[in-house]
Amino acid sequence: MADRETLLNETFVALADTLVGDFDVVEFLSMLSSRCVDLFDADDAGLLLADEHGHMQLAASSSHRMQVLEVLEVQHNEGPSPDAYRTGVAVQCPELREATERWPVFAAEAMAAGFRSAHALPMRLRADVIGALVLLCPAPGPLPERDIRAAQALADVATIGILHHRAAQESRLLAEQLEYALTSRIIIEQAKGIVAERLGLDVEQSYETLRRYSRQHNRRLVDLSRSVVEHDFDTGVLAEH
Amino acid sequence: MDEKRLTMLLRDRDEDRRAGADIGGRLCDTCAEVLDVSGAGIMLMSDGRHRGTFGVSNAVISVVEELQFTLGEGPCIDAYWSEHPVLEPDLGRPASNRWPAFSGPAVGVGRRALFGFPLRAGTGSLGALDLYVDRPGDLRPDQVSDAIVLADVISSTVLALQADAAPGTLAPALDAGLTHRAVVHQASGMVAAQLEMPVDDALVRIRAHAYTDGRPVNDIARDIVMRRLRLE
Repeated sequence: MADRETLLNETFVALADTLVGDFDVVEFLSMLSSRCVDLFDADDAGLLLADEHGHMQLAASSSHRMQVLEVLEVQHNEGPSPDAYRTGVAVQCPELREATERWPVFAAEAMAAGFRSAHALPMRLRADVIGALVLLCPAPGPLPERDIRAAQALADVATIGILHHRAAQESRLLAEQLEYALTSRIIIEQAKGIVAERLGLDVEQSYETLRRYSRQHNRRLVDLSRSVVEHDFDTGVLAEH
Repeated sequence: MDEKRLTMLLRDRDEDRRAGADIGGRLCDTCAEVLDVSGAGIMLMSDGRHRGTFGVSNAVISVVEELQFTLGEGPCIDAYWSEHPVLEPDLGRPASNRWPAFSGPAVGVGRRALFGFPLRAGTGSLGALDLYVDRPGDLRPDQVSDAIVLADVISSTVLALQADAAPGTLAPALDAGLTHRAVVHQASGMVAAQLEMPVDDALVRIRAHAYTDGRPVNDIARDIVMRRLRLE
C-alpha cells in the first residue's frame, strides 16, 4: 500500500480541486468515499448530504452494500449519519450489538452485512452542517484518534469545496438570468423601432400594438419581440391590431 | 482598505439597498473616494455589448461611458472581454494604440489615465468598473488590489439586486441605467427596418453617424425616432 501520509496528502489536494469547470459533486464525493476505505480501517464509507429542506439524501457510497445501508439510514432517519448531521459532532459506535435500541433497523442490517462498528463525522463549516461521512468497520472497537482527526479534516475540506461550488453555481445562474434580462430589455426596444417604422407609428403606439398582440395570442412580449427582430415574424399582421 | 472599512462599506450598501437609494451612484462615489481617483463608473454588458450604466460618480465619467458606448472600444470593454484589469496610465502616450478612436477624444476631455476592472460573476463578466485619473500615472499596487475587491462587491450587489427581480425582467435599480439608452435601441430597430439590415449593423451605423457628427449617440437616435433624420 502506498505510504499513508502520501495518500492522505494526495486526497487533500484532490479535494481542494473544486474550481474546475466540469466539477461534479457526485464524482467528487465518490472519490472521497473510496479514499476513506484506503486510508482507514473501514471496509466501507458513504456520504449523505442534506437537501434544501434539511432531509438527508444519498450522495456517495464505496459499495453496493454501503448504498443499501445508507438508503436505510435515510428512510428510517436513524443511524450514525443522521445523528452526526443532527448534532454536528462525531458519532462513534464501537459495538453495533449494543446499538440495537438506538438504531433498531440500521444496527440489525449493518450487522447482517458483516459490520461490527460504525463511525460518522459531520460535514460542517462553522454553524452550517450540510451532511455526514460514515465509516463502517468489520471489527468492533473505536476508530484510532488520529484516524478520526484525519477523516474529520477530509470531511471539512470536502464541505468547503461543496459550499464553494454551490455559491459559484448560484452566482452563475444569477449572472445568466441577468444577461437574459438585459438582452430581453434591449430586444423589446428594438422591436418597437422596427414595428414603428414598418407601420408608420410612433414608438408608444408601436409598443401598444406589440403588447396587444402578445396578450391576444398568449405570447410573451419578449418572445414576440425576438421574432420581430430576427425577421421570423411578418409585422404586417400587426397592422390589423 | 482595511477590513473595518470594507465592513462599513458593505453595511452602507445594504442600507442603500433597503432604502432603494441610487445604489450604483453611491458605489461609484465610494470607489472614487476609497481608491483616491478622479472618477468611477459602472458599465453593464450582455452578449458582448455595452448595455447601460449602473452608476457614475460625477458628470465627467459619463463622458468616458458615452465614448465607450459610442465607439464600442475602451478599457472597460477590454476588461470585460479579457476578464482581467486593463490599465492605461497615460492615454496621451499609450504603450500601444489599443483604442484608436477612443484615446484622442478621451484625452481631449481631460481623462489622462484610465483603468478598467471586470465585474466577474459565474463563468464570465457582467460588465466593468471604470476608473479615471485626470493626470497620468500608474495605480499603486494597493489601489489595484482594492479595486479588484470593490469590483467583486459591485458584482455581488448587481446579482443580489437581480435576484429579487421578477423572472425574466430586469431589477428596477438596474433598469434605470438602461432607460437612458432605450431610444438608441428603438432607433436601431427603425434603421434596421429602413435599410433592411440586422439591428446590430443598424446600431453600428448610428454610432458611426454620431462619431462623424461629433454628437452624442442619444441625440442622433432621438432624431431618428422623431423622424427628423434618416440614415442612407
